[in-house]
Amino acid sequence: MEEPRIGVYICWCGNNIAKMVDVEAVAAEVGNLPNVVLAKTYKYMCSDPGQDLIIKDIRGHHLNRVIVAACSPRIHELTFRNAVEKAGINPYLFEMANIREQDSWVHTDRSEATKKAIDLVNAAIHRVRFHEPLQKRSVTVDPATLVIGGGISGMVAALEIANAGKQVYLVEKTDRLGGHVARFDLTFPHLSSAKQMIHPIIQRVENHPNIDVFKQSVIRDVSGYIGNFKALVQNGQPEPLELKFGNIIAATGLKSFDPSKIEEYGYGKFPDVVTSMEFEEILASGKVLTKHGKEPRNIAIIHCVGSRSKVYHEYCSRTCCMVALKFVNQIRAGLPECNIFEIYADMRAYGKGCEEFYAESTHRQIIFLMFDQQEKLPVIRQAEKTDDCNMLIEMDEKLSGESIEVPVDMVVLMVNMEAHDDVKDVVHAIGVSLCGNQFFIEKHPKLDPVATTTGGVYIVGTCQGPKDIPDSVAQARAAAARILATIAQGSVAVEVTTAFVNEEFCCGCQTCIRVCPYTAISFKEDKKSSEVNEVLCKGCGTCGSACPSGAITSKHFTDRQILSEIEGIMSMSYKEI
Amino acid sequence: MNFRPTIVAFLCNWCAYTGADLAGTSRMRYAPNIRIIRVMCSGRIDPTFILTAFQQGADGVLICGCHPGDCHYQTGNYKCLRRFKLISKYIAQMGIEPERLKLEWISASEGKQFAELVNEMTKAILNVGPSKIKSTLEVKHLKS
Repeated sequence: MEEPRIGVYICWCGNNIAKMVDVEAVAAEVGNLPNVVLAKTYKYMCSDPGQDLIIKDIRGHHLNRVIVAACSPRIHELTFRNAVEKAGINPYLFEMANIREQDSWVHTDRSEATKKAIDLVNAAIHRVRFHEPLQKRSVTVDPATLVIGGGISGMVAALEIANAGKQVYLVEKTDRLGGHVARFDLTFPHLSSAKQMIHPIIQRVENHPNIDVFKQSVIRDVSGYIGNFKALVQNGQPEPLELKFGNIIAATGLKSFDPSKIEEYGYGKFPDVVTSMEFEEILASGKVLTKHGKEPRNIAIIHCVGSRSKVYHEYCSRTCCMVALKFVNQIRAGLPECNIFEIYADMRAYGKGCEEFYAESTHRQIIFLMFDQQEKLPVIRQAEKTDDCNMLIEMDEKLSGESIEVPVDMVVLMVNMEAHDDVKDVVHAIGVSLCGNQFFIEKHPKLDPVATTTGGVYIVGTCQGPKDIPDSVAQARAAAARILATIAQGSVAVEVTTAFVNEEFCCGCQTCIRVCPYTAISFKEDKKSSEVNEVLCKGCGTCGSACPSGAITSKHFTDRQILSEIEGIMSMSYKEI
Repeated sequence: MNFRPTIVAFLCNWCAYTGADLAGTSRMRYAPNIRIIRVMCSGRIDPTFILTAFQQGADGVLICGCHPGDCHYQTGNYKCLRRFKLISKYIAQMGIEPERLKLEWISASEGKQFAELVNEMTKAILNVGPSKIKSTLEVKHLKS
């Protein structure tokens, strides 16, 4: 092995790192370590000038190893791998030290944070000395795509891919396409018909020669990797159908929060307390009537039901405020005399045309009443016979500071959008992760909100988080474009950090075969040793730590590399101060 | 002289490391004594790594993986758990206090739990004091 010549770059990340970590001190401390040719700091290593700095140094100083101490490798490892590759270094001769997410952002003592950064950079220096170049491997991409979920996001993505002449398998859990949008009457902020928008899309999907639609179907036993997945479609038939595809789009959406959990609102107890989804159907029927068939004289719309709450969901569902204003406009159009009460906690009107829609809707003779969600929720109770209404809402009106009673004949609860109960089944099937709110986690919150950390798996629409129709459609088309790009290339680079068996050391005990979750290891009788199928291996490294004779190398996570990392951490440990 | 423990942590890439990153993006504060090493799966954590960390002077070793049933590689965390149980017995025989080795499941969304875990463990290590393994090994080495 050639003598390592390491370049170390400490990123300021503006003030994100530099404020808590003395980046110059880190550079000075590690600059004199063996094999370190240079140690520099820079404001934003991920910027083009930052990357150029690395590229120039690699050429000028003949560096053969590079370390960037910056954010999490989950964010920018690939960026820097590509940068060093541009300068002619194998991308696996690069290592990152996480001094932002796991240092500057979580500590408050500058000297401690700086020492930690020094330890982490030192660990990376120790590790990178033992890095070995790995050759990129690519696999062919099956041009078919699996789309899970037949709502607007799934259908739009499917059409985009199918229109490019590629096969799509669209799997929908229910017996119909269209998802939530098909149940809406109008859309905000233009009050155009949801059905007129969605029905042609459903038609096109169902009749498209390149789209196979499987309704009342679920996907199971997904196996494989980017470019080459397979799975079974279960749809009531005795024999499940096997599908092969190169990419997956999860468009599984969200569901409405069940408001019966909130006792104050009496949902389930009072027949005229309905959810926003149920009210869509009432509106679609053409006439707003109570359960007794009467025209309501007073309608209240309660916002943030299950949203922005410490008890239920802390997040905002993003669309309900505008949907509530849409309802206001629709009610007013049909019932000019009706009293409409908007009982809200905060009015959120972002998005194109939405603030204008809010301003305009305030002219519909609506009574806006504010409640403090953290203090006290409005309480709905049955009105007395002597009252001239069906129910009464007791609430502390925040702006006036008064406790009031609101007469109502009908109440619409603007329910939160929450994850499906069976979301974990999808998670396990396709290997994505969930955030605390049970939404799928995107690869990068800003720069890659469409892909996931699993190659070939994309997330679109509300399964990634509550969003409106335009955002869902944009994400769906973006995922489709990404997939079409890999199909057009015909092949895609895959994980090369797989396991490797050294036949010389293999004792033939076959422990590795028993621990491998992917049946990627087989036993070669002629050589009496195990062998890894690199295509099936996903690089978890479990076999490497199970091998009693040390014959298995987990590439890029070798024993030598990890043990060196430990040594690096410990070699500088400041025991006393 | 203040005792500043060093805790070496092995975190799986998909759940625990992501959870630790989330603690960062959420600006949760925790004790600065932890040094995280990323592995792809908790199933990769070789008992040698744990022993080496102790041998090099770590006062504590923390292992975090995905919750049972949530492993990105299906079952790696179960293998980790089995090895952990064995190595726990082994380190006890070596005279390493049980508080020094900990295994916890941390999901990608459990940034808060991770921060709390680090604080708890740091506190526990402060209570048991500095690890003597490194110095013991050095003495033995001199004698031999």
